[in-house]
Amino acid sequence: MSTTIDGVFALPARDAAAAERRMMLAYLIWGFSALMIGAAIGPLQALNYGGINAYPYLQPVLQSYYQGLTIHGVLNGYVFTFFITSGLLVYLSARELGLSPNMGLWRLCFAMMAVGTLMLLYAMFDNSSSVLWTFYPPLKGSAFFYLGMTLVVFGSMLPLPIVLDLRARWKAQRPGELTPLVTYMSAATMLMWLLAGVGAGTELVVQLDPWALGLTDTVDPMIGRTLFWWTGHPIVYFWLMPAYVSWYALLPKQAGGKLVSDPMARLTFALLLVFSLPVGSHHQYDDPGISPVWKGILAALTLSVALPSLITAFTLGLSLEYAGRLRGGRGWIGWFTALPWRNASVAAQVLAMITFIFGGAGGIVNGSWQLDNIVHNTVWIPGHFHITVGTATAMTFMGIAFWMVPHLTGRRLFSPGLALASVWLWFVGMSVFALGMHWSGLHGVPRRAWVSYLPHSVYARVYGSAHLPLTLVAVGGVILWLATIAFYVVFVGSLFGKRQATPVAIPFAQSFGGRETYAIGDGGAVGIVADQHLSPMARVLEHLGLLTLLTAVATLAAYIPIFWPFVTHMTAAHGWRVW
Amino acid sequence: MSDVTVPPPGFEAAFHRAAERHERIWVFIAIVLLTALLAGTLFLAVFDYGVIAKTVGYSRHPEEAASGFADAALVATGPNAYAVHMLAHLWAWTPSPLHVPQGAAITFIVTSADVLHGFEVQGTTINMTAIPGITGSVTYTFANAGTYNIICNEFCGIEHQGMIGRIIVDPRHAA
Repeated sequence: MSTTIDGVFALPARDAAAAERRMMLAYLIWGFSALMIGAAIGPLQALNYGGINAYPYLQPVLQSYYQGLTIHGVLNGYVFTFFITSGLLVYLSARELGLSPNMGLWRLCFAMMAVGTLMLLYAMFDNSSSVLWTFYPPLKGSAFFYLGMTLVVFGSMLPLPIVLDLRARWKAQRPGELTPLVTYMSAATMLMWLLAGVGAGTELVVQLDPWALGLTDTVDPMIGRTLFWWTGHPIVYFWLMPAYVSWYALLPKQAGGKLVSDPMARLTFALLLVFSLPVGSHHQYDDPGISPVWKGILAALTLSVALPSLITAFTLGLSLEYAGRLRGGRGWIGWFTALPWRNASVAAQVLAMITFIFGGAGGIVNGSWQLDNIVHNTVWIPGHFHITVGTATAMTFMGIAFWMVPHLTGRRLFSPGLALASVWLWFVGMSVFALGMHWSGLHGVPRRAWVSYLPHSVYARVYGSAHLPLTLVAVGGVILWLATIAFYVVFVGSLFGKRQATPVAIPFAQSFGGRETYAIGDGGAVGIVADQHLSPMARVLEHLGLLTLLTAVATLAAYIPIFWPFVTHMTAAHGWRVW
Repeated sequence: MSDVTVPPPGFEAAFHRAAERHERIWVFIAIVLLTALLAGTLFLAVFDYGVIAKTVGYSRHPEEAASGFADAALVATGPNAYAVHMLAHLWAWTPSPLHVPQGAAITFIVTSADVLHGFEVQGTTINMTAIPGITGSVTYTFANAGTYNIICNEFCGIEHQGMIGRIIVDPRHAA
């Protein structure tokens, strides 16, 4: 191994990690290519809500708003996030521990998701599967769609054995020590995703794949829908937790400080693992068929999942404050303005966090049962998830790309000024868009509706009261188009940019009481992550297997009563292709 | 990438001590806040129980459930209480327009004949999924007279945006 203190690799010499860097770069490029297509379509949907119907002009490529929306949701929600996360969690864990990941499995993961993505693209672009990213039966797309989705879902689980294998090999060499933080967080994320994937995995393999292939004639819509949300809620944590990895473990260093509490980072991930799973059916508060008693229990569990994010707000805010004060910031807000705002990677992530404060608050509204009655399936909901996954996650991944592309390629970041402009444009565009969406939702404007296709008199009669906020939606969309263009000029420019002499290191942050590095082969003294005498909690949380088992039991306990009436009263619905 | 500045002696330890105290207070506040929100939302859900989506029945075939919805008329079920079968189908609501009296408890019994639909009445708290094979109900009292839009809020195909029905709430004195 040619690892040095910070996981810095001598470039461009071919070292042992060259293959890992190439693989990581492939994950980044695939992920961001998916986002490029998805984000290019997005503003068309924003214009739709503003009453501007652009689809007649896109006829050969996009037949309808619904086809475009399907492509947007699948590429941005699944393909983009899964590729970045499956690359990131493996690569960062391997570099933190100074070990090589199982490259065979990591390549298989990539291959499964890449083949799945091509199948999805084929099925979506020929308009055979405009079923939106929720693909609720009995809407029936083509077999390519469901089989492609199956490959993407199962492929995205493969980082789990890779991370667990890295962790086991590291622990074998460092007996008695706690798993270093990045690896701990990655393992917790992937264990959560394993349990989460059981829902959609079952829906696809047992219900939709055989149905789409013509092996079965009918499908039960409610069972499909409930299995979908088994996965569909925890998936938001599969989007969020990788961003948290960067916020906890990298950003404090990029900002010039340290992580103020390693045990609280672990507690957050353990709580997210436990609470994200049993609550999926809160997306079905408005469905008949589920007992109100269970909906009350779901409300309690759902609000519990806000706790780890509130802890995160404190720990990360304080870590940034520490960095800001070291940089000379004084007073109540001086530490905040003293952060390195000219660094596009830091600016992207701090702006992402600010957006997430509003995203989290909106999430608490959605999770509050009776408030959900007002906003359910209105444009409030996509407004909410565009400032969570669409900003907190997407902009964090963009921020990561700003240091990671130079780190992986040895090339200079193309135009740091344009990079900074892209994140501010994204922040402003998404804020304006989300304000408009939340506000329009309160006027009862439904999500995912081709309202610009309505006769103008109907549009004005039904949605005229929301004219101002719907205009904001369209304006936000146009700003986001500019942000997307700026970002991709930087991203592609950096791939082909000038080589630089000094390699860019991975910015692993040190935590209070923690060591500078945990990599095997650094020659450093053996130590522990947090002081084990001070943090019995971190030692308890080290038992990830037990936590997973507990979560699995809680998930079954929550879902058996929900599924019971459905499996004892099965519905046989025929498929519909109505787009 | 900025480098970590070397802190003045004792700075990190002092920062850490203050942080631990503040962290305990913050976690306490967070737990109290979430508990209060839960109590509030459960109280309101029970208090306003009518708008909670309830189960009426299940059927093997969606068409079976839909066939019981042919009456398409408001039926009196008690003093100042009415019920109506509301069928969601591609791409309309039946019955629509529906006349209901102001100030009466109206129970909407809803199902879908084909794919998923969403029964949302704009400007009210009525919001329930119409699921093929499952019949559900919500009860709501329209306090004000006027015309309300029923908006389908679950994607149901190419004419989804046009699946808009009407409820006309007739003023009490006219009834």
